[in-house]
Amino acid sequence: MFDCANVEMRELLPELVAGSLDASARARVDAHVIACSECASELETLRLVRGAFAAPAVDTRGIVAALPKPLTGPAAITSVAPMKRWVDWRLAAALTMITVGGLSVAIVQRRGTDATGVPIDSVAVAPAIPSGGRAVDSAGAVAGGGTRSDTGSEPAARRSMRPASPRAQLSFNGGVGELDDASIQALLGALDEIDRAPVAPSTEPDRSSVLPVIKDVDR
Amino acid sequence: MAKDHEPNEDPTDLELIARWRAGDERAATTLVERHAPALARFAVSLGQRSDVEEVVQDTFVRAFGSIDTFRADSALRTWLFTIERRLILDRRRAGRRRRDDTSLEEGDAATEFDALDGIVAEEAEGRVRLAVERLSRLQREVFLLRVNEGMSYKEIAEVVGSTEGAARVHYHNALRAVKESLYV
Repeated sequence: MFDCANVEMRELLPELVAGSLDASARARVDAHVIACSECASELETLRLVRGAFAAPAVDTRGIVAALPKPLTGPAAITSVAPMKRWVDWRLAAALTMITVGGLSVAIVQRRGTDATGVPIDSVAVAPAIPSGGRAVDSAGAVAGGGTRSDTGSEPAARRSMRPASPRAQLSFNGGVGELDDASIQALLGALDEIDRAPVAPSTEPDRSSVLPVIKDVDR
Repeated sequence: MAKDHEPNEDPTDLELIARWRAGDERAATTLVERHAPALARFAVSLGQRSDVEEVVQDTFVRAFGSIDTFRADSALRTWLFTIERRLILDRRRAGRRRRDDTSLEEGDAATEFDALDGIVAEEAEGRVRLAVERLSRLQREVFLLRVNEGMSYKEIAEVVGSTEGAARVHYHNALRAVKESLYV
């Protein structure tokens, strides 16, 4: 049992058996097989193999009947349109939120710098600022001893609702109108500094050295 | 070397797919008639003895249901074979779980045809079948895809999830083993 040394011809034998060669290649292989007993023997083996695994009959009509129907015309179009409308709606909502939010901030800042003394009733310093000269820094610590919770100057329920983060130093529950212009300026400056401060704790600078301290604010 | 479709010949698979997408259901009939026999033969060569038609039908249903994922950089037939092979392996695994039969794992030497040995071994065709069925499952798949379908090593590698070089080695090892089984 020897193999033909003509690798190219040997590699074409299975394709000859399967009937996948074009006419010119088939003619070349046929000519080689006539002159090569090894390839003739191998070709016979391959034909035996193909014959032993003949395709069983299948009912192609039944298969076609079971196939899904192609999506054509309006059905194919409407399958895409709802998603597009959904994306459009979300985009519009996001743009609206950004616009309204930006306008609100701009209005608040302009009112805060207004020298005419128009009262600001939408932004207030957190009511934790105690009387008696103690200062509150941006990290929420009360300078001059003690913490905010030990001031005892506000109801406990109100204290419990207050957020603990530095940004929570501001609330929107009124009272800014009672502040003087210098305090409002300091407050807005603190707001700007907080917005500029990095979010990641590892890169966050010491706020006590960056943010101004509000002192002697009477509520 | 392989046959290509020429303008005056039958429409290509891609042309038929486009026609089917446009609503021509006769294109689907042509595609099924073109590929169903090869798929049935491949199913048998993978050891599928019963429900061959059901397997072929499931293959077409799955293929037509996800025709948008078909990429024209491979032949439709190769893609269909890949789907059918996965289907058969899934069915076999599911059946094995049901029977709690752990006799044949993927990649093991084929033993699933042993029950037929005595029946068919005396005939020439039976001896050939036996020789092929004694190959490892991967060798048998590669060998029969090459001999029965005339697939290139690249296409075979795509179907069985291997490499072109590995497919070539599997084919020649399988051919040697079959020859030895028949003639030595």
